Amino acid sequence: MLASILASGLAVGAIYALIGITYNTMFATSRVMSFTAGQLGMLGGVLGSLFTLKLGLPWPVALLLVLAGCGVIGVITEIVAVRPVLKSLDQHLYVLTTLAAALLIQQFTAIQWGTEPQPFPRLLGLGSGIWDEKYWLPVVVCAATIVGLEYLYRRTLVGRAFVAIAEDNFAARALGLPERDLRMASYALAGAIGGLAGFAGGQLLLAFFANGPLLNFYGFIPVALGGLGNNRGAVIGGIALGLFQQAANFLVGGIFSSVAVFTLFIIVLLAAPQGLFGSTASRRV
Amino acid sequence: MNITRRNIALGGAGAVAAATGLARPALAQNEAIRIGWLAAMTGPSSAPAIGFNRGVVFAAEAINAEGGVRGRRIEIVTRDTQGDPTKAVNATQEMISQARVHAIWGPTNSGESLAVTAIMARAGMPNIHPCVVDSLIDVRRYPNAFRMAPSNTQWDDAVRGYCLDRVNARKVAVIGDTTGYGVAATNASAQGFQRAGAEVVYKANIDATQPDMTPDMLRARNAGAQAIVVWSVSTGMIARMLNTRASMGWDVPFVGHPSLSSGEVGTLIERPANWEKVYAVGYRSCSRDASDALPPRTTELLGRLRGKVDLRDTLLWWVANGIDAVDLVAKAVEATGSSDKAAIIRHWNTLTKYPGYFGEYTFSATEHNGYPTEDVVMSAANSARDGAFALAPGY
Repeated sequence: MLASILASGLAVGAIYALIGITYNTMFATSRVMSFTAGQLGMLGGVLGSLFTLKLGLPWPVALLLVLAGCGVIGVITEIVAVRPVLKSLDQHLYVLTTLAAALLIQQFTAIQWGTEPQPFPRLLGLGSGIWDEKYWLPVVVCAATIVGLEYLYRRTLVGRAFVAIAEDNFAARALGLPERDLRMASYALAGAIGGLAGFAGGQLLLAFFANGPLLNFYGFIPVALGGLGNNRGAVIGGIALGLFQQAANFLVGGIFSSVAVFTLFIIVLLAAPQGLFGSTASRRV
Repeated sequence: MNITRRNIALGGAGAVAAATGLARPALAQNEAIRIGWLAAMTGPSSAPAIGFNRGVVFAAEAINAEGGVRGRRIEIVTRDTQGDPTKAVNATQEMISQARVHAIWGPTNSGESLAVTAIMARAGMPNIHPCVVDSLIDVRRYPNAFRMAPSNTQWDDAVRGYCLDRVNARKVAVIGDTTGYGVAATNASAQGFQRAGAEVVYKANIDATQPDMTPDMLRARNAGAQAIVVWSVSTGMIARMLNTRASMGWDVPFVGHPSLSSGEVGTLIERPANWEKVYAVGYRSCSRDASDALPPRTTELLGRLRGKVDLRDTLLWWVANGIDAVDLVAKAVEATGSSDKAAIIRHWNTLTKYPGYFGEYTFSATEHNGYPTEDVVMSAANSARDGAFALAPGY
């Protein structure tokens, strides 16, 4: 039982963490919580299945196309749902616009792809039982994504520009950084990460249009637990959520596991409203 | 006499009334028999309606090709409800007040039917449908509504009977999804097993999007389940459970909802062998026996359908039920010589073992569940061919 909890808990936790990172990546350059994050994860699975099983492409090619496709969806989200409301962030209009965009993506997928879950192929054909690739692949991909992002943010000029925009938007613009282009690039990057989450977790979640809302909810929890904008917090929060959810599935089962997850979530937020790894923001008065 | 606007208006109204009254007999003799068809042709759950529709269109064309009913053509008034109860309500009201249909077939899913049944009852509209929710049939509240398919209770009886009498499972696990239907069906099924003296060793409602079914399957095995009874329309959840059963090396039989035999399940299982020992609710009229033969009347139907209706991507019972629906309205008009709503309802109330293709329907003034319980059987879930299934072992 413990092995099963660990295998599936780590796998779904890694997927939730990647969706949490998608939220954070979009938030960093725009200060907007875009609720299209879960839909990008859903699209990763659906497009992956489309390219591999329906069109017969090799999975590496399919993966590249998924990353590109989801990146484009990310950019479109920025143009359509985020940019028009940036000037009135305090009114939180982005909640409506990004939710509307998410709904559009989901309905379009339901119409074009169908409302029944469809298979996602085995990619590497490695492992069986609790060592099946469907369990460890999301974990490996999550780890690789974290390493890649750390490298991007710490070692590259573009990454440092992202960080600068995230730290102080006005100062970065005063220094001549192309804020709009960087924001679009960060949305493309977020789209690719979301798509990667869905592709890596496709064997577990299947290619199913209804995965979007599920990932939206469970991907948001690591962000709230780990602290907004904190990728490491999102990873720890995501893994903890996955393990707790699977343990609750084993111990209390069925619908009560969801109750247990959200009860813990509320308790944590009551104890630490800024998240477990977030810092209290200071504001000049 | 003064010519006033009031006199002109009254005179005009009288003239229109007289003209309408005089024209009515001639109009009724040639007027098409309009059958409203509330079909979820697009959107989620559209597969059944597409199958039903093939039967409906086939039956209407066949009757019209033979000259109609007493010289009156059948006209199908189809409205796509997209599976949405709100759209079903709007379509029903339009059919009653504008299209002025003589009877309505459908909706074909319970959610929509729950929304429109009372509206049809208020209008006294003859309504036949194949929806399973028990409360949809109530002769006191809905004297106009007739069910020409099994109720949920009949499904439940068939599943329980198969588990207890043919699988000889005295300890069962009952598992459903977390939808309203899943919870209600799971509770009803568990209570039925307990009343029958069986032991429900595990009962659960699982979120259909839960990626790993190992926890519930392990608990069911540890509890000593000898059969897993499934009440869910979620093919993803069903396939995950079957894959988990295989990975556990457990050969417990699955018995339950017709979705167990859905073609979608076949695409989602990891190996074809994972679909063995899975038995779904089916119907004797659309099941092949041990010699691979369908009942004679169904064979005759297949002969009529050959080359005209594609059965490869649908279920035979959907098509047969659609044909029966149109035929039931046509026969009522033929027998009574009238398309009057009350006359159609009165006629249906007298039917005993009416020989449809899907089954022999029996209705009375006090019983509008018309499908015979003994014709609800279990099918081998992985045996679909041209829309029909093989009978499960033991029949």
